[in-house]
Amino acid sequence: MAVIETDQLAKSYRVYRKKEGLGASLAGLFRREYREVEAVRGIDLRVEEGEFVAFLGPNGAGKTTTLKLLSGVITPTAGTARVLGHVPWRRENAYRRRFALVMGQKNQLWWDLPAAESFRLHQEIYCIERDRFGQTCHELCEMLGVEHLLGQPVRELSLGERMRMELIAALLHSPEVLFLDEPTIGLDVVAQHTIQQFLREYQRLRRVTILLTSHYMRDVAALCRRVVIIAAGRIIYDGPLDGITGHFSGQKIVSLQLADGEMPTGLERLGEVLESRPPKVRICVPRGEVTRVLTHIFAHCAVQDVSVEDPPLDAVIAEVFSRS
Amino acid sequence: MDNRGLSQFSQHGDPRPNQPPGDAAKTGLSPSAPPAPLRPSYTRVAYTFLRNSLVRDMTFRANFLIDTISSMVWVLMNLGFYVLIFEYTPMIGAGTGWGKYQFFLFLGTTLIINSLTRGLFLANAIELSEHIRNGTLDFILLKPIDTQFLVSLGRIEWSALGPLGFGLVLMLHSFGQLGYAPGPVTVVLYVFYLACGCAIYYSLMIAMSSTAIWFGRNRSLLDFWFYITNFSRYPMEIYRGPWGDPLRWTFTFLVPVLVAVNIPARMLVRPLDVRTAADWTLPVFTIVATLAGLAVSRWVFQRALLSYRSASS
Repeated sequence: MAVIETDQLAKSYRVYRKKEGLGASLAGLFRREYREVEAVRGIDLRVEEGEFVAFLGPNGAGKTTTLKLLSGVITPTAGTARVLGHVPWRRENAYRRRFALVMGQKNQLWWDLPAAESFRLHQEIYCIERDRFGQTCHELCEMLGVEHLLGQPVRELSLGERMRMELIAALLHSPEVLFLDEPTIGLDVVAQHTIQQFLREYQRLRRVTILLTSHYMRDVAALCRRVVIIAAGRIIYDGPLDGITGHFSGQKIVSLQLADGEMPTGLERLGEVLESRPPKVRICVPRGEVTRVLTHIFAHCAVQDVSVEDPPLDAVIAEVFSRS
Repeated sequence: MDNRGLSQFSQHGDPRPNQPPGDAAKTGLSPSAPPAPLRPSYTRVAYTFLRNSLVRDMTFRANFLIDTISSMVWVLMNLGFYVLIFEYTPMIGAGTGWGKYQFFLFLGTTLIINSLTRGLFLANAIELSEHIRNGTLDFILLKPIDTQFLVSLGRIEWSALGPLGFGLVLMLHSFGQLGYAPGPVTVVLYVFYLACGCAIYYSLMIAMSSTAIWFGRNRSLLDFWFYITNFSRYPMEIYRGPWGDPLRWTFTFLVPVLVAVNIPARMLVRPLDVRTAADWTLPVFTIVATLAGLAVSRWVFQRALLSYRSASS
C-alpha cells in the first residue's frame, strides 16, 4: 500500500529581486521587482509502507521543500499529494498525529529547559498515556544512550546529544511516517554512526516509512536501498542505490599494477589518467571501451595485476549534482 | 528472529536495512501506541506551558528578579504620578465622576488587564514574528492541536504578572477609601468584562503579529502595544472636543481599545442601580467587539498561515 503518493507536486515562490546599493534600496520602497523561483517542479513519487527512501540532491534542489509539502508545513502551487490517505496541507489533527518531521538545522526543544520537560509537553499534545510515555521515553533514551542527559538544559547539550533528543521528541508518539531532513548534519563520525544505527534498528523494528535527506553518502549507503535524486526541482533518478553508478556514470576505473616501473606511453589516449605513480596507474575509461583498452595495455605493457571498478559513488553523485 | 533487548543495540547494530517487520515485543521495543484520543486536553497543555515557563523563569532567577522589580517600579512611578495629579485636582475631568479612588479602581483594572495580556500573550505574539522569520513555526504547525492556541500560550512571562497583584491590592484599598464593596453581580460582570478587555487586546496582538507571514517581518508590535496602552489607560470621558471626539470614536468603534479597560472599570465605579439604558449601550457593544475581534483575528491568523513560506531549511 502506498503511504506517500504525489502527482505533479509543484511549489514556486515569488522572491524579491533586491539590487545592490542605497539608491536601489530606496527605489525598492516604491517599486519592486520579483522573480519566480520554482523550488519543486511536478514531482511524482510513490513510497510504500515500511520503505526507507533517501532523497538526494544538491543544495536548493527542492528536497526540503518537498518534505515541507509532505508534512503540510507549506501549501503547493500545483499538484496533489496524499500521505497516509491525508492531504498534508489541510493540517488535520488526524494526520499530524501520525507522522513526524526532524530537521537537522532547526530545533524544536525548549532551549533553556531539560529535554524531559519538552517531552512531557509532547506527551500532553499527542495524548500519550502516562505508562506508555514512560516506557517509550525510556526505550528511546536507552537506544540512543542519552538517559543520563534528560535533566540537562538543551542549551548545554552537544550538537550530537541535542540531535538525539530531537529524534526522541519526534518519535514519542510512535509516528507511522518519519521525514528526516539532514538529521546528521554537522555531527562527528561517531554521532553520525550512532544515529544511523538507531534509525536502522528503529525502522526495522517499527516498520515506519522513512524519507531521509542527507548530504552524507555514508548515511544513505548505511540505511537506504532506494534512492530518489532530485535536481532543480525534478526527480532525475528513482531506483536502487547500487543502480546510480550504472545510470549516471558511463565510466569505469581501470587500476594497473605494472611489472616494472616504466610508465607506458600513450596512456592518455586511452582515457583520463587519474593516477600515474608507476608501478601504480589508474585510468578512467568509457564503459564500452574497457575491453579495447585492456587489450591495448596487455599488448604493450607488462602488467602484474589489474582491476576494473565503478567510480566511487560520492564522485558519481558529485558529478550528477554539478551537472544539474 | 532477533531476540536482543534494545539496550544492547548500540553495541550490535543490525546491518540489514528494509527487513520484514520485526516482532517488536520480542525485541524489547513496545508495540506501537494504540490510537490516541482525538482531542488533547487544552487545560493540561496550558498547565504544562505555565509550568515549563515558570521552571525556565526560575532558572534565570536574576533575570526574573530584575524583570519583576522593573515592572513594579514602573507601576509605582505611575501611581506616584497620579497621586501627584490628585494633589492639584479632585477629579479627572469636571463632572466625569472619576475622583481619586474611583480612578484608582480604574488604574487597578488597567494594571490587571495589561499584566494578564503582557504575561500571557505579548511575548508569544512577538515570538510569532520571530518564528515566521526563522522558519521555526514549522514545528508548531506539525502539532495535532489548534495552532493558534499553541502560538498564543507557548511562553508565559511570569515576571509580567507582578503588577496584577499590585492592581488587586490597589483596588481593595480604593474600595476601603470609598466605603463600599461591590456586590456579587458587579463582581461577576467585572470579571466578565475584564475577560472581554483581555480578549480585545489579544485579538489585536495576534492579528498584528500574523501579518509577519505576509510582510516577512513585523517588529512594530511592542511599539503598538505601548501606543494602545497609552491611549486606553485613561477614562474615555476625557476624550472630548474637536480633537477628543474623533479619537474617542476611533478607539471605541474602529480599534476598540478604549472599551477594554473603561467598561470593566465602570462596572465597579458606577453601581448598577444608577445605570440608565444608555449606560448599557457600550457594555453591549463591548461584547460584540470582543466576539468580532476574536473572529476577525482568527480569520487573519488562518489566512496568514496559508501563505506561510517556512524560511530556509
